[in-house]
Order: sequence, then structure tokens, then C-alpha cells
Amino acid sequence: MMILRRIKDNLFLFTIILAYGLISIINPSMGLASVKNSGYYIKEMLMIMPVIFVLTALLDLWVPKEKIMQFLGRDAKAKGLLLAFVIGSVSAGPIYAAFPMCTMLHKKGASIRNIVVILSSWAVIKIPMLLNEAKFLGLRFMIVRWLLTVAAIIIFSWLADKIIKDEDLPQGEAQKLGVSINKEACIGCRICVEIYPELFEMKAKKAFVKDYDDREIDSERLKKTMMDCPVKAIEHTE
Amino acid sequence: MDIFTLVMWIGTLVFLAISFAKNKAKTAKALKMALNMGKGMALSIFTIIFAIGLILTLMPPAEIAIFVGKQPAFLATVASALLGTITLVPAFIAFPLVGTLVDAGVGIVPSVAFLTTLTMVGIVTFPLEKKEFGTKFTAIRNGLSFIFAIIIALIMGVFI
Repeated sequence: MMILRRIKDNLFLFTIILAYGLISIINPSMGLASVKNSGYYIKEMLMIMPVIFVLTALLDLWVPKEKIMQFLGRDAKAKGLLLAFVIGSVSAGPIYAAFPMCTMLHKKGASIRNIVVILSSWAVIKIPMLLNEAKFLGLRFMIVRWLLTVAAIIIFSWLADKIIKDEDLPQGEAQKLGVSINKEACIGCRICVEIYPELFEMKAKKAFVKDYDDREIDSERLKKTMMDCPVKAIEHTE
Repeated sequence: MDIFTLVMWIGTLVFLAISFAKNKAKTAKALKMALNMGKGMALSIFTIIFAIGLILTLMPPAEIAIFVGKQPAFLATVASALLGTITLVPAFIAFPLVGTLVDAGVGIVPSVAFLTTLTMVGIVTFPLEKKEFGTKFTAIRNGLSFIFAIIIALIMGVFI
């Protein structure tokens, strides 16, 4: 049971391991080439991910929520868009390097639109890459593509903002300190709200953690709530 | 290490030093948070990287170029946009790759479609993105990026 569940939770990982096993039996040289290809990306990731994690944590602790809201929130308008473009396009690394930073910014009040802008420009409007692009594809190509892509991002981030609501994003992540809820797991049973209404509330049929003060947590009651949650979706990291 | 990565490192280290001078406990908490973030993402990222390595071996970009180059223009655009969605590739690899496609005779429109979906849309990275942002956000962001990748490519075709 336990093993089955672990496989189900990490289905992708097991598929990849299986694929590597198969390819190494059928064609060992191809297996080796794949590992070699991966090694290149791992090196690149190790160069950029640690610094992003540390930067994200520092920004999270030092920049107050009001500032993020003011500069990247819903009311920041054009100023927010511009800042989002700048953040995305000066950063190094692939788009998934931007994930932890964007979830942190969103939690602190950045709008969906600005998050989409950061992610998209992080992916494809790289100022560090402009010279590279001009070299491989020509100056005219680079300028036209750059202008078109910026315009496209402005339009589709607006569309995304219309479709996606703030509550659609998972509220708590494992990396976040304190109490959080795994929104993918939550089935909206309301048990936590009934046991500990001071800490939990319901929004759009899912449980959410209210704003709280660390010192006011009743750890006994929290423990009971966590035990009683039928899908064990409540996490508490100290 | 390219200059921008270097600048990020230096900037972050300076930030860390200032943070440490101002508040040691807070800095320790930040480092612990960073470590937790790393732990939370490490497994997914390694899985994705090994998936990318495997895909690049099974479908070498040079063969993709030959395949796409043979198709009629519209089909080539859709095909290259679709091929680009398989995985997310960092921009500094994507540009030289698309450069080789253009040199090999693949048209501008399919090449741009490929470049945009290659860097913005990822099926392999979908589970990781879903874990961080939820299913709806991930589906919409990737879907819109795909549609606009084709629009950008078509307009590029008019201009260049």
C-alpha cells in the first residue's frame, strides 16, 4: 500500500527511472548520452538555483507585504507591469527557476497578471540573451521578435488575469514556514474550520489559513486539527 | 558563469551580509527557508532535468530540423510549436538551437514558433509548475503562451 502510494505520488519520477532503465538495456550508449546531456543542465541549475532560493527567502523576510502590493499588486497598473518585465528579463536561469520567487511574490500580494509577466519574460525576453540572439539570428530578427513578444505578453497576461482568480493558486507551500494547507489535497470538508475557526476559514470551497501571529497558536488544538484532517492536507513547519 | 548569474550571486551575497549585520536571527531564518525551498523542489527539478536529457537524446534537434524543414509551411509551424512544448529549455540553449534551424533552411515562422514554445511552454515541467501554482494557473499560462507563440510567429513572417 505504502509503496503503491509513493509511486503514485512520484509517478513522473518513476516513469523517468523506468525509461532510463529500459534505454540502458536496449541501447547503453544512448543511456549514457542522456545522462551526459542531463549533467550539463544539472551544472547550470546548481549555479543558479541556490542563489534564487536565498534571494527569495531574503526578499520574503525583509520586504514588507505592503511594498510588494504597492509595486506589483493589482493597483500598481503600468508601473507594476514595467517592474515585472524588468525582474523577469534581467534574471538568469530557466523559467522553472522563477517558480519559487513568483509564488512568494504572489503570497505577498503581487497580482496574477504581474506574476504571468515575470514568468513569461523570464522565459523568453532575456536581456542577457539579446546579444546572443542577434548573433545567431540577426539584429532585425531580434528587435522585431522582442517587440512582438512584449506586446503578446502584455495582452495574454491581461487575459490570464481575467480568467484566473487569486484563490486558484495553492495557498501554502511546504517551503513556507508556519501553518499551510496543501490545496491540491484539500477536499473542503470544513473539519479544520469547525475545530479551529480562529485559524482556518473557507474560501471557494477550500480551506485557507487566516493571517495569524506565531505566538498565538494553540499547538495542541492545531495538532488535533492536523490529525483529524481526512486527507492530511495541513502542514506545520517550524 | 555568465555575467548576469555572477551579478545575481554578488547582489545576493551583499544582501545576505547586510541582513546578517542587521539581524542575525532573521538571516538564519531566511537561510533555513531557502534550504526548505531547495528540499521541496530538488526532487522535481532533478526529475525534469533527467527527462530533458533523455528527450534531447531520443530526438536530437538536428533531426527535428530536417523533419520540420520538409513539411509545408503551415504544418511546419504547428509541428514546430508542438515540438517546442515538450520541454522547457533555457534561452541560452534555445537561441543557438533555433539559429541552426534557420541556417538549415527552416522558415522564420516555424523557427519563431519553436523558439517561443520551447522557452515558455513545457509539458515535462507541468507537474512542477502545477505544484507551485495549481492546475488552473498552469493550464491557462501554458495554453495562452502556446496560442500567442503561433500569433507571434505568423506576424514575424509578415515583417521579416
